[in-house]
Amino acid sequence: MASASPSPHKPRRKTKKTITHFANNLRPEPLVRSPAFPLAAFLWPARSSLSQWEVLPLILMVVGLFRWAAGLWGYSGLHKPPIFGDYEAQRHWMEITTQLPISQWYFHDLQWWGLDYPPLTAYHSWLLGKIGSYIDPTWFALYTSRGFDDPILKVFMRATVIVSEYLIYIPAMVVFVRRFSRLFGVAQWTASVALVAILMQPATILIDHVHFQYNTVMLGFVVASMSSLVAARYMWASIFFVAALGFKQMALYYAPAVFAFLLGSCTFPRFNTGRFFGIAAVTLASFAVLILPLVVGALFDASRGIDSRPDLDGPRAPLPIFAFLGTYLDTEAFYYPVVEQMVQLIHRVFPFARGLFEDKVANFWCAANVVIKLRHYPTELLQRISLLATLGSIAPPCAIVFFKPNKGLLPYAFGATAWGFFLFSYQVHEKSVLLPLLPMTVLLAGKQGLGKDMRSWVGFANILGVWTMFPLLQRVGLRVPYAVLTLLWAYLLGLPPTSTSAYFQEGQSKSVQWATALLHGAFYLAMAVWHVVERFVDPPFDKPDLWVVANVGIGFAGFALCYLWCLWKLVEESGIASQMLRGSGKTKVKTR
Amino acid sequence: MTEAYPTIAQCAVVAAAFKVLLFPAKSTDFEVHRNWLAITNSLPPWEWYYEKTSEWTLDYPPFFAHFEWILSQVAKLADPAMLRVYNLEYDSWQTTYFQRLTVIATELVLVYALQLFIESSHGATRRAAQAAAISVLLSPGLLIIDHIHFQYNGAMYGILILSLVLARQRGGLLASGLVFAALLCMKHIYLYLAPAYFVYLLRTYCLSPKSIFRIQFLNCLKLASGIVAIFGLAFGPFAAKGQIPQMLSRLFPFSRGLCHAYWAPNLWALYSFADRIMISVAPRLGLPIKMEAVNSVTRGLVGDTAFAVLPEVTPRMCFALTLLFQAIPLVKLFVRPSWDTFIGSVTLCGYASFLFGWHVHEKAILLVIIPFSLIALKDRRHLSAFRPLAVSGHVSLFPLLFTPAEFPIKIVYTIFWLILFLMVFDRMAPASNWPRFFLFDRFAILYITVSIPLILYCSLLHQVIFGKSYEFLPLMFMSSYSAVGVVGSWIGFMVVYFTS
Repeated sequence: MASASPSPHKPRRKTKKTITHFANNLRPEPLVRSPAFPLAAFLWPARSSLSQWEVLPLILMVVGLFRWAAGLWGYSGLHKPPIFGDYEAQRHWMEITTQLPISQWYFHDLQWWGLDYPPLTAYHSWLLGKIGSYIDPTWFALYTSRGFDDPILKVFMRATVIVSEYLIYIPAMVVFVRRFSRLFGVAQWTASVALVAILMQPATILIDHVHFQYNTVMLGFVVASMSSLVAARYMWASIFFVAALGFKQMALYYAPAVFAFLLGSCTFPRFNTGRFFGIAAVTLASFAVLILPLVVGALFDASRGIDSRPDLDGPRAPLPIFAFLGTYLDTEAFYYPVVEQMVQLIHRVFPFARGLFEDKVANFWCAANVVIKLRHYPTELLQRISLLATLGSIAPPCAIVFFKPNKGLLPYAFGATAWGFFLFSYQVHEKSVLLPLLPMTVLLAGKQGLGKDMRSWVGFANILGVWTMFPLLQRVGLRVPYAVLTLLWAYLLGLPPTSTSAYFQEGQSKSVQWATALLHGAFYLAMAVWHVVERFVDPPFDKPDLWVVANVGIGFAGFALCYLWCLWKLVEESGIASQMLRGSGKTKVKTR
Repeated sequence: MTEAYPTIAQCAVVAAAFKVLLFPAKSTDFEVHRNWLAITNSLPPWEWYYEKTSEWTLDYPPFFAHFEWILSQVAKLADPAMLRVYNLEYDSWQTTYFQRLTVIATELVLVYALQLFIESSHGATRRAAQAAAISVLLSPGLLIIDHIHFQYNGAMYGILILSLVLARQRGGLLASGLVFAALLCMKHIYLYLAPAYFVYLLRTYCLSPKSIFRIQFLNCLKLASGIVAIFGLAFGPFAAKGQIPQMLSRLFPFSRGLCHAYWAPNLWALYSFADRIMISVAPRLGLPIKMEAVNSVTRGLVGDTAFAVLPEVTPRMCFALTLLFQAIPLVKLFVRPSWDTFIGSVTLCGYASFLFGWHVHEKAILLVIIPFSLIALKDRRHLSAFRPLAVSGHVSLFPLLFTPAEFPIKIVYTIFWLILFLMVFDRMAPASNWPRFFLFDRFAILYITVSIPLILYCSLLHQVIFGKSYEFLPLMFMSSYSAVGVVGSWIGFMVVYFTS
């Protein structure tokens, strides 16, 4: 950007305007003679085309085709009675939301995939269930449809994932990439390349369109929120973020960063009371709107005499958590069903009672469990340590964005806090790795996003991330789509194992290049060896999980590296380090 | 001249990734090739053309059977159970993966041929050649027929293009003829293109370029002995056993009807459509109606297609019409034997056989589209004839796939291909020396626009409105619409061919 700024004595505001103007219209094409990696080659002929609207529909069609083709493969829990898998969970939620009164949604037969996502997921399921029942009522019939595996139903379910994604995630991402790349004056063509790279990210396709879930809806709201932050529309950012939280509680991984950034942007350079209270009010209002149908439904059902738990006779069951409330509240009062509903919602959405980690996840606890057996320690102690470790890991990035609420830092801050949560919090699932991967991947659209340095790190995180999900995928026979989508993405971006061109660029210190290359090389080698061993060597008889544990160990080390990288980039880009070196707060603060 | 991007190899990699993802797609022709693997592997050649345990009997020429035999040697390693003749409808995942992979692997022939095609183009036409080559490689026709429906067209058309490209240099003429002869021994549908080859090789290889009255005897001898050797290798062993009549009855099943089950979009589809309309008009004109035909023709099923009002069509008439319309362009080829004219006449031979042939399958449209792609970018007039063909030819393939899971793929992929390549071609095709004909351009634009509501109606709205009844209606609309496009582009290209 420095090259574009005119003489320094001009008033600051005006300068800014000129730059934006310049950046919008006359963005010079980088003088590159040949594409640096295959994806750039595919969009090479589009460099001269002036309009994004010619390229964008084609991009959206291609990424859609890959999604649908990947969806031809099996989903989690296909032909796996008695409990099936994630697919059945989502289908079952469509069944209960369309067939039961709203006050029973969070109470119905919790043993069979009881609803444990926030209300927006429930409303989404209701809508899809209504549409599906219109096509074929047997798909979502109460009880009888459990474990239903009709191929037409599969087509419908796959279509709902794609449609939801194309309505939320993809528009959000297109707008975000546009805004974020403009922030750094990135050329439009380069931004289109980044958009394809982001949309072809293997982890999201594999989890949502193959394994089956609606993560992209939540991630889409998060992207919309980030995009609004970039555009300085703070209230919209809050609304979108509440929507993300309301769809999937996992969005909490980003919450500290959002909170710190919003608070920072209200506080610096001087406290902005209007903005502060505006954000607070809008956030509260959106939460209210989010739970309103549930509250009204509970009251309405109570007035019709519909109980939330028709399976129970006699007096009302005690509250599952916050049982002390029962002593203060009148269980026969008109508001009691609402209280019960809310408590049950919190109880279902935040399973405090479960253990530190469930499955084999590449986070600190699971890796540490190999060395010291964690189950010998009291749960309360572990939960406290986990809380402290999480807070410790997210505090630095949050502090940085609080003091420097700079839009360009957002993905790093989101990435670092999400990695912190992923590595140290409890009840983490393999699939949660999508959350830290999202902000890291969108960095491709930013400053030097397609440069070798950024490409190598984003690629490393993504390939490692998808690799840690391999045990999950291969359990349901998805080796082939895993291999195809991962290798394709690596090929498109010129990453190992298909190419080493992403390392060793000119103009960077040799030692850093070698260090990065060796470090990443070691991980890529480990992943490759692991795949060979996992395929051809049986684990020792007494340690049947050895390969999975090795996966977790390597994954944890790599993810920790990614966390540190995000944190380092945050420090570097925020200018805090140089500021400290100069020892004064007078250094120019980046304005954009 | 810098290399143009993306390269054929890069496209092939990404396309292969997509094709691997299509492995689980449902296919009907899958069993055909499994059966052929089993027949060639477990029986001696003398029984190949007699075996009929499965209804999908071997009906390709001997080289293709040998090709299946080679594949079956690898198939043994994947899953020997697929090689048993009685193991009907066998589809273990190893079988599926193996068969799907063989299609992707043999398609490398096409990649290689297209690379040769690009390298044989020089100067300003090179980028256009690259665009055309990529359009063939990514053709929705090949994707739908080979990678979802299941066939080996990629490899076959690869050999065809190889032979066409070899004919571009004088030194490659002999090789071109021999490769084509071998191709005929793999898949006899290419016989339709043989007249163009015959005339071109006769004129450029067997006769002196200076005068048609000076015969180059040595060349004639080389070509003739080569072709005889190839056919001898393929058919000789079977001829020695006296199996040729049996083989021919398998290769040319004349007992089938005029129109194929799904109404290939040719002249006979328009003829049937006209017949349908005549049924309601005829009483007023006082024409006799054959009542027994009224019900059968609507379904257009395999078997004798009967017409209610219009006169019957015999195989002999089809054959005569085909030959006639093949002969017309060949006259020009004989007089002015350039490579571009050769490709043009190959295309026109394809057109004639597709439009007038007996029992034409809609897949045969590739016989027109693929050779035409090689010269579509010659100038804007070629392109304007190519456009309606590209739309109608690919749209007419839609009825091949009917399960809902593949439905979005065929639609979105075809639309993607059409938008991308019509846009790219439009930018690349140079202006022509001749004035374009105004009306034809307008016709093409109108035609392409109509496709959108038509696809919508046929694939979605019809089911919503009528449910399962009147099933023939969308099929008939689709094939009549496509037939109009194919016929229109044929007339347009004839004009371009004779005036350029």
